[in-house]
Parts: sequence; C-alpha cells; structure tokens
Amino acid sequence: MAADKAITGDDIVRLIDIRKTYITGELQVPVLKGIHATVRRGEFVGFIGTSGSGKSTLLNILGMLDVPTSGQYFLEDTEVSQLSDVDQATIRNRKIGFIFQSFNLFPHLSVEENIEVPMVYGRIPGRIRRKRALELAKRVGLGHRLGHKPTQLSGGECQRIAIARALSNNPAFILADEPTGNLDEKTSNEIMDLFHELNRGQGVTIVMVTHNPALGPHYDTIIRLRDGRIDDRLFEWEIREQERQAAEKAAKAAEVAK
Amino acid sequence: MMLVRDLFKLSLHNLLLHKVRSILTSLGVIFGVGSVIAMLAISEGAKRSALAQIEAMGVDKIILFSKRPPIDGRSESSDNASVMERYGLNSRDVNNILKMDNVERITGVFDTRKKVLKGLDRTDLKLVGCDYEFLGDSLARIEKGRWFTPADFKNDAYVCVIGKNVKRKLFSIGNTDIVGSTIRVEDMVFRIIGIINNEYGTQYPEIGGQNDMILIPMTTARALCKDYTFYREGRNYKITRIEYDLFLIKVNDTSYIDNTSKRVAGYLEKTHSETKDWGMVVPLELLKQMEQTQNIFTIVMGSIAGISLVVGGIGIMNIMLASVYERRKEIGTRRALGAQKSDILLQFLIETVFLTSIGGVLGILLGVGIGSTITYYTQMPTIYSAWSIILALAISSITGVIFGTYPAYKAAQQNPITVLRAE
Repeated sequence: MAADKAITGDDIVRLIDIRKTYITGELQVPVLKGIHATVRRGEFVGFIGTSGSGKSTLLNILGMLDVPTSGQYFLEDTEVSQLSDVDQATIRNRKIGFIFQSFNLFPHLSVEENIEVPMVYGRIPGRIRRKRALELAKRVGLGHRLGHKPTQLSGGECQRIAIARALSNNPAFILADEPTGNLDEKTSNEIMDLFHELNRGQGVTIVMVTHNPALGPHYDTIIRLRDGRIDDRLFEWEIREQERQAAEKAAKAAEVAK
Repeated sequence: MMLVRDLFKLSLHNLLLHKVRSILTSLGVIFGVGSVIAMLAISEGAKRSALAQIEAMGVDKIILFSKRPPIDGRSESSDNASVMERYGLNSRDVNNILKMDNVERITGVFDTRKKVLKGLDRTDLKLVGCDYEFLGDSLARIEKGRWFTPADFKNDAYVCVIGKNVKRKLFSIGNTDIVGSTIRVEDMVFRIIGIINNEYGTQYPEIGGQNDMILIPMTTARALCKDYTFYREGRNYKITRIEYDLFLIKVNDTSYIDNTSKRVAGYLEKTHSETKDWGMVVPLELLKQMEQTQNIFTIVMGSIAGISLVVGGIGIMNIMLASVYERRKEIGTRRALGAQKSDILLQFLIETVFLTSIGGVLGILLGVGIGSTITYYTQMPTIYSAWSIILALAISSITGVIFGTYPAYKAAQQNPITVLRAE
C-alpha cells in the first residue's frame, strides 16, 4: 500500500519545541508545552486530540494565524514563527491550503469565484484563475457545478469546493481542521476518500487536525495530543497493525454474537 | 491593480446582496448630495437671472431717476385742493453732469403720463419720450421694424416704437401687421414703426422696463406736453412737473464708475438740497453686492448640506461597523486564505466609497428632481453646472473615504483566530 506513494525525504514542516502560553492577567496558562513534530512531503498526518489538548492552538500556529511563545517552526526550511504580519499572510496564501469544519465558503460567490479567492490574493491574472478553477473543480469531481452558488450544493459538495479552493495556489500542504465534522458518515467517508486520493494519487501533503479518535486507513502518521504535549505517535505500520487487530476483534465479536 | 478590480466587483456584489439595506444606508448621502445639488442649482439660477437683470441695466451706466419726494406733514390725499408738484431731474442737471470727467453721454427719458386707449379702454401703458441713444443704452433690441431716425426727432414726428408687452396688450395674437398700424393716445395718433424687446423685463426703478413702454421721440413728447403732466384724480386736478424721469449716464470706462457715481451724488445732494427727489442706481455696485450676498447664501446653504452629509456619513459608518461584526467569519476566512490586512481594509473602504458614490449619483438625480420641481412650480430658474455635479460626486466619495476608514480599519484589525471561531 505504501509502495505506490512517494514520501520523499524532505520535511515540509518541522516543529521544534513549540510552546504557547496564554497570559490572562497574572495567570499564565500554558497550552502547548513543547511540541516536536515533522511532516514530510507527501505525508498524511493526523493530529488527534480531545478539546483542551491544545490541538486548536497547534492548528493556529501551523496555519500561521498565531505565533508560538517560543520554539521554531520551519516551513520548507524557512523559519516562519516570528515573521511579520504581511509575510505571514503571504506564506499562508502560497504555502498553506486551509480547509475548515464548516467549509467557510462565500455564499454569494459562485463555485468558480470561491475557488479563485486565494488566487486573487495571490495576484494571479483572471484568465489563469478561471482555467485553474475549472481544473480544480474537475479534480474534486464538480467540474459541472462552476456556476452554482454554495447554497445550491450539498455539504459534501461544499467541502469538495473548499478542497479545490485550498489547492488553488499549489500549497506546500493542506491544513484541514476537522473537515468531516459537519458531515454525515457516508459523506464523511467520501471526503476522506477524496483526501486519500489526493494524497496517494497526487502526492498532496495533508495535515489534518481532528478530535475523532477513530483511526482511518488514510493516515501515514497519527500524533496524539494530550494536555499540550505529544502523548503518542503512531507510524504507518503501527496504524495498520492496530487496524488489523481492531478488525479481528470486531469479527470475533460478530461471531460471538451469532 | 488587478486586485482593485476584483475588490470593486466584490463590493458591488456585497452591496447588491443587500439592496434595500444599501439604499437605506446611503439615504443620508442621497439627501445630503441632493440638497447640495438643488441648493447650487437654485443659487446659480438666482445668480444668473439677477446678474442678467443687472447687466441689462448696463454695467457701464449710472442710472438716475426722479423720485416723488416724501410728503412731510402736508397731507394731500384727503383735502380737495388741486396740487401742483414739481420735482425731479432737470435740464440743468443734464448740462452739469455732462461736464463731469468720464461722462460720455446722458440719455434722458420722460414719461408723459398720458393714458393710452385701446378701443374705449384705458390701459396702464406708458407713453414715454426718449433720446435717440436710448435703444443702445438700454440694451434692448429691435424685434421688428426700425428705431427712430434723427429726422423723427427733428420733425417731432408722431411715430412710436412699442415694447413687446405693449404689443401683447394692444393687439391680438397672430396680428402680423402691427408695424405700420396706429395707436391712439388721448387725441393723438401715433404710427408704430418698430417693436422692441428687452429680455429682462422690468429693470428701471420708478419707471419700469421698455417692454411696457410706448416710446416716442423726446422732441415729440416735449412738443406735446412740455414738462407738465396733468391729470385728474377724482375731483382734484393734479399737475406734476418733471423734466426728466430717468437718466442713463454712460461712463466711458467702468473703472471710473465708482468715482463718477460719487461725484454725481455729491452734485445732486448740493443742488437738490431741499427735498430728496432723486434716486441713483449703480448696476456695477449692485453686481458686487449681489455677488457678496450670493456667496454668503452659498456658504450658509453649503453648511446645511454639509451637516446632512456628515449625518449621512455617520449613518454609513454605523452600518459598516455593524457589517464588520456581521462578517467576522468572512474576514477570518479571507485572512486564512492569504488576504493581507491591507486587502481587507481596501475591501471595506471600497465598499463604503461605492455606497456613498451610488448615494451621490442618486442624490444628483434627487437634486435635479427637486430643482426641476421648484422651477416648474415657481418659475425660479435652476442651473446645473458641470462643476456642481463633479463637486457632488467628489464630496460623496470623500464622505465614503472619511467615514469608511474607521470601519475598514476595524475590519483589518480583526484577529483571524477569534473571528474564525465566530458563528
């Protein structure tokens, strides 16, 4: 399974001793207490943790919406944790493809225009934007819906559009925040399959932040967060092993039930 | 630059999304600009027509007129005595004023105060004797026929030139053979040789405009009644001696008008010292005064319009601030997708400017509407100058910039993390 995809050696994301402490009045609340992690090119990484584990803060730091109190964040070998606001926005635009739980599409823009938004901020000419928007819409299976408004689409379709939008500037990685949280199980599976396809088939690096403890067959690495620290790190073979065991257990349970 | 175009498209989109709200929001600006436009149009129209009226008197002229002196104590209306009155400008004044520097000539006018008959009705038209230069100096023009010739003066000819309104009063519409026909004044018959028109109606104090006059040569008028006018008022006879009713003093250079008028006034004060039986109008001075009052008027009206624009602007600022709050999630998403703070700032600023500019355009339409309505009902002229339109557009977009900056700044300063969590 792993043979058909290329996780090349180079690191896209390197987090070194990331700490974040919120100061409210005289109270210091440490939220992240030293996170070390890497994401390699072509990898599908899941950060999993319950609420209060610091996963949202980590997401914000990964997405460069927030800066760590200390520690280093290398994005494609550039230290980005302490950049200016303008540079951060530029890097967000070019290197990071955001996907949100509630899709965050612009309801009054058409599908095509929604996909184009990051390219607009990237100062890409209209002609190229339209061409790329069509390509991307096709890539997520919605090439025929370019003229529609998000309100005319189902939740699953909306998230597909959001994915197309996230891909529009060819980012270094996709940062998905609970992308299936607002979807039913069937649609969730479809979306996860799409992520899987993008990752395996097209080599897109994906970082997914979720509270869902269920393991999917999609992740290459799962990093569990607890109380601001990394609690557990599962690599691909471990995930597969655990999955296998879980499947056996289920099968046994089914037999017993008979 | 490309982004600016995208931003324009976006703001238009957003405004169309809330059409009713957009219109309501810009109402303040609409009314503000509307009042600016209407105010400017009205004041410009008033200015033009007043200017025209003053210019019709001639800015190189000093106008002197005879004025019935105020009656002090001696009541004359109740008792039965017949009255003989003598007052006004006379030929000695003509000679003395003519001797002054810079006075080129004096055109005199003498009202015979005779009743003009039409059929058996008397009309209130004036039979007026005038000098040869009166046509040129009064800025009237011949509409039909001709002006008097020097021979008419020499022969005391019974010819007349009638004003436009006289024609309307004495003849039926469509009558084309007026020139050449005759009119009767008391027991005299005058042949009409021309019709004159002065576009600006009444322009001389005490005597009125040429359009209501039947002009005859001064010599004819003198031959008819010297300088006496004689008429009955009930049982009383009233004789008035006025040599001249009006002088048009032409000054050879407008820059000497001020001096000359002072000198003439000084002279008259000395020579007509018993009663103030004369009046003076200096069109150039009126012009200056009028421009001053006009400026004050414009400033006052402008401030009122300005206040309504400020109120409108504050309304827009209010709505835009609410809109920033309402669209926090959009702002957060845009920031996450790579929008710079400046992009957000520009987006909201352009949206506000768009709103006020549309308000400006609608306001112009409203202002033109108000102005036209006023013109329609009051005949007050309104003039829409190109610069007032440009000014209105500029003001409305500047209002947008002034009152849009703060909300736009607020929008740009939103913390993406918190606003992304907003629902």
